[in-house]
Amino acid sequence: MSDTPILSVCDVRKTYGGVEVLKGVSFDLARGESKIVIGPSGTGKSTLLRCINLLSPPDGGIVTLDGVRIEEKNINQIRAQIGFVFQEFNLFTHLRVLDNVRLAQRNVLGRSRQEATRRAQKELERVGLADKFDAYPAELSGGQKQRASIARALAMDPKLILFDEPTSALDPELTGEVVQVMKDLANAGMTMLVVSHEMSFAKAAADEVIFMEGGVIVEQGPPDRMFSHPEQARTSQFLQMITHDHQYA
Amino acid sequence: MTEFIEFGRTWMPFLLEGVGVTMGLWAIAMVLGFCLALVLVWSRVYAAKPIYLLATLYIEVFRGTPMLVQLFFIYLGLPEIGIVLDPFTAAAVAIGLNSAAYQAEYFRGAIQSLPAGQMVAARAMGMSRFQALRDIILPQAGRRVIPQWSNEAIVELKYTSIAYAIGLTELTARAEQVGYETFQFLEAFTLVAIIYLVLTGTVAQLLDLLERKTRIPGLTSARGKME
Repeated sequence: MSDTPILSVCDVRKTYGGVEVLKGVSFDLARGESKIVIGPSGTGKSTLLRCINLLSPPDGGIVTLDGVRIEEKNINQIRAQIGFVFQEFNLFTHLRVLDNVRLAQRNVLGRSRQEATRRAQKELERVGLADKFDAYPAELSGGQKQRASIARALAMDPKLILFDEPTSALDPELTGEVVQVMKDLANAGMTMLVVSHEMSFAKAAADEVIFMEGGVIVEQGPPDRMFSHPEQARTSQFLQMITHDHQYA
Repeated sequence: MTEFIEFGRTWMPFLLEGVGVTMGLWAIAMVLGFCLALVLVWSRVYAAKPIYLLATLYIEVFRGTPMLVQLFFIYLGLPEIGIVLDPFTAAAVAIGLNSAAYQAEYFRGAIQSLPAGQMVAARAMGMSRFQALRDIILPQAGRRVIPQWSNEAIVELKYTSIAYAIGLTELTARAEQVGYETFQFLEAFTLVAIIYLVLTGTVAQLLDLLERKTRIPGLTSARGKME
C-alpha cells in the first residue's frame, strides 16, 4: 500500500463563458476509497468530474493519477485507466452489449479478441447481465443500460471509476439495481468518485461525503458525521432538503 | 399497343447500348463524389477554420450553380487553360464534383444527428479521435445516411442525362436519335423513360435492402414505425 493517493485534485478551476464554475477544488482519493460528491445543481460537480479526465480541460490546477500529472499529451493513456459512467449511459448504440464492453479493450488496450470476450462476459455476469450479451442498448431498460456501462468501465481494469449522476436518468424503481452494483463495487475495493444524491449509497458504501456549493468544497467528512453533525449550516440545510425530498419521492 | 411492342423490339437493343455509358458515368461520379464528400465532411465537422471555410465555399459553389454550367465550365472552359477532357471524363468529373457537395451535406447531417455522448464516451475510454470516428461515428452515421444517400444516388443517375449536352451518346441521346430516325418521339422517350425507371427502381431497391440489412434498433427506425 503506497501513501500516494491514486487521485489527487489540487486547486482545480474552471470558467464557462465568464462564470467561474470551479473556484479552486482540492481533494485526494486513496486506493480503494469511495467518495460521494453532493450539492445543489449547477455547483460544478459534473464539471469537476470532467475536469479530472480532461473531457473539459480545467483552466487551472493540477490533477494527478497515481502520481502522474494528467495532461493533454498523455490523455488517452490516462483515460484508459479512469472509468467514466455517464448519467445518460452513452452505450454505443450500434453495438450489442458484449461489443460495447469489448471495443475499447480491443482498440485501446490491444487485448486479443478472446481475452476481451472473456473479460466482457465476466464483467457483464458480475453486473447481472449474463443473458443480455447479444442485446442492443435500445433493447435494455435504463437500469440494465447503466449496469452495462458499468461493466464496460470495469472491463478496462480502471484505477478508479468516476460516476456522473449514474441514477439521475432512471425511474425510481430502477435506481436500486444500479446502486446495488455500485455498493458491491465499493465493498470489493474499487476506487470510486461518485456525483450523486443517492443517500443509500452514501450511507452504505461511501468512505467520505464531499459537499460542494458555488464551485467550492464547503465541507467533507465521513458519512455518519456529515449526516448527523455537519459543521456548516449550509450542509445541514442541504441534507435536510434532499432527505426530505426522498421521503416523499 | 402491339405497335409499341414492335417498336420496342426494334429499338430497345440500340437504346440498351446506352445503359453502359449511363451507368458507368453514374458509378464513377458516385464513387468520386463519395470520396471527395468524406474529405469535405471531415473539413466541415472536424477541421480548423480555414479548411472549414474552403469546404463550405466548395459546397456553396457546387450547390448554388446549375449542373449544366458546371459541365460546360469543365468541358468547354478548362481547355482554355490547357485542361482538355474527353466528354465521358468531363461528364463523370462534373457530376462527381457536384454530387460530392450534396453527399457531404447528407453525411454532415447524419453525423450531427448523433448524440454528442457517443463521441464523449469513446474519448472518455481512451480512444483517439480517429478511433472514435472509425469505430463509433462512421458506423452509426453510415447507417443513418442511407435513405438520403439513396435519394442522391437516384438524382445523380438521372443527372447523367446532361452528358447529352456535350455530345455523349448515353441513354437520352440515343432516345433522341431514335426519335429523329423514326419520328416516333413519343415512343422513343417512353421507352427510355421505362429504362430509367428500371435503373432507378433497382438502385432504390438495393439501397433499401442495404438499409434493412444494416438496421439496428434505436439507431435507425423502421419505415413507418415510431420507435
